[in-house]
Amino acid sequence: MLDFSLTPEQESLQDLARKFARTEMAPRAAACDKEGRFPEEIYRKAWELGLMNLNVPSEYGGSGLSVLDQCLIVEELAYACGGMTTSIIANCLALEPILLGATPEQKRRWLAPFCAEYHLASFCLTEPGGGSDAAGLQTRATRDGDDYVLRGEKCFITNGPHASLFTVFATTDPSLRAKGIVAFVVPGDAPGIVRGKDEDKMGHRASSTGTIRFEDVRVPAAQRLGGEGEGFSIAMRTLDQTRTPIGALATGIAQAALDHAARYSLERKSFGKPISEHQAIQIKLANMAQMVSAARLLTWKAAWTIDRGERGTLDSSIAKCVASDSALRVADDAIQIFGGYGYMKEYPVEKLLRDAKLTQIYEGANEIQRIVTARELLRRYA
Amino acid sequence: MEIFVLLKPVPEGESRLRVSADGRRLDLDGVKFVLAGYDESAVEQALLLKESAPGSTVRAVSFGPARCEEILRAAIALGCDAATWVEGPSEAAEDPMVVARALATAIAPGGASLILAGKQAGDDEEGLVPAAVAERLGVPSFGHVLDLRAGPDGASLRFARATEAGTERWECPLPCVIGLQQAWNDPRTAKLPNILKSRKAAIAKVAWTETAAALGAESRPTNRPEAFALPPPRAGAKMIEFKTPDDAAEQLVRALREEAKVFP
Repeated sequence: MLDFSLTPEQESLQDLARKFARTEMAPRAAACDKEGRFPEEIYRKAWELGLMNLNVPSEYGGSGLSVLDQCLIVEELAYACGGMTTSIIANCLALEPILLGATPEQKRRWLAPFCAEYHLASFCLTEPGGGSDAAGLQTRATRDGDDYVLRGEKCFITNGPHASLFTVFATTDPSLRAKGIVAFVVPGDAPGIVRGKDEDKMGHRASSTGTIRFEDVRVPAAQRLGGEGEGFSIAMRTLDQTRTPIGALATGIAQAALDHAARYSLERKSFGKPISEHQAIQIKLANMAQMVSAARLLTWKAAWTIDRGERGTLDSSIAKCVASDSALRVADDAIQIFGGYGYMKEYPVEKLLRDAKLTQIYEGANEIQRIVTARELLRRYA
Repeated sequence: MEIFVLLKPVPEGESRLRVSADGRRLDLDGVKFVLAGYDESAVEQALLLKESAPGSTVRAVSFGPARCEEILRAAIALGCDAATWVEGPSEAAEDPMVVARALATAIAPGGASLILAGKQAGDDEEGLVPAAVAERLGVPSFGHVLDLRAGPDGASLRFARATEAGTERWECPLPCVIGLQQAWNDPRTAKLPNILKSRKAAIAKVAWTETAAALGAESRPTNRPEAFALPPPRAGAKMIEFKTPDDAAEQLVRALREEAKVFP
């Protein structure tokens, strides 16, 4: 039977995330956004409460939450600040390749420290020459005895400037495209890693994003995840797992925009009455509520599919795409309802638009999500 | 130390409250109950004492209908070792004397060396239960307590009480019942893995039939609420239009004095 009610356990996870979001994140969100500050003290607290590494199984010290439970938490966090949430959940993305591709011994070695102590990890796939064309990546992995030597550059790496561990995708032979890709675990202090500057971004300004250059970084073969040529599959399966929480992140931003706009519409008067009494505003609010609901339900559906053990590529692509497009439109409508005030940085809604924009781009641009959706869809008709 | 913490489920602060159909009480149907206010301070204090006296245990205890379960699990997630749900019907939970008798009956055999509670409940703020439990158990009771520490001999407590006139300092032999002031300590937040563990923790249950049999006629509430009225909706704010700050201040003072009559 279909059931949308949450269990008491899920409600208590949601309560924890909501409390943390509203007491720790929200009060600092505007200042961190303005200053482009990476509030590591907040991320440490999130770690202490167990709100990081949500996907790491309990045998390695994590919570091993289902994707649906992760989504409930991520939506609450993102309601307070999308950028901080991106940095908090970046470990899930970076550690997922280890969960999917590592041997039990590698898992113990690389996952346990993240649950025992506060550490950040970064997922290094995107390169300056291409993000969506992941199979065409150029970072080289050259075998040298028992080691590989990594050479190349990764960009837009979340938490890159602060990470103590990288999961890196490189190729033994670019002409092999996907078949040449290998995944590695690389400690942040490996000689030859050069961290670029922290990027100055439009939104998600409490998150840190940077370039990581690998200048002949020597990596023992024991730090390879899976076999040569399995890296691309690990990367894609990772994104299948982490795409859905991005839908939840977008939903949180959208819900915040709707709440701000609805409350404001009851206070703000024009033509002698609250603007909530004008149908032009009511219709906008109704459209926003529809989009928020659709975003959340599609996200839950995708999470449910994955938690049943299915790969969920189609559902998660649809969810991520609809939720992020919705977040942008709902944030845009919220600004419109606030009018001139909405355009001012003193009010909270313009930040939501800037933060929402990234959700259409990262973890698979929405154009890629649509290609994936169409491919999965057409397979059913062929 | 065997520390017991008495907890009451109270409606979440953001709840939309309605009056019940019979007009006597709040309609608590569908309301979310939480561990809140003074009770959070009591749990925090119990955990601090436990941490300062290794070997101590903390047991959370709550009287009432099934809604007690959630706050007992919340207490376990915060670090309490065990929990007891003293089952009781809603009508019994409305009478603080019945609550106190039922709690005392459940606690008595447990060998409590210290019983902590919020100085009053986070919802009705009656503040009767801790003292009534102490009376029933025949042990001393203090309310409005803050800055609580175990005495050097392990058989007494030292604490402060905030009064209108100033701060009192006390030493009291164990066992005793202490009603704690809110938020003088900074209650911790439960960690996610502990929340997950708390869902699986066993909660001891004292059946109402058992309590009612032990209490006999004393299990029946002697008080019954007559009527409940929500506060009248607040009138709208008055906006003052002004040209200069001095002008605004002058108008504001006049409105406070002549219209709101806040001061003469």
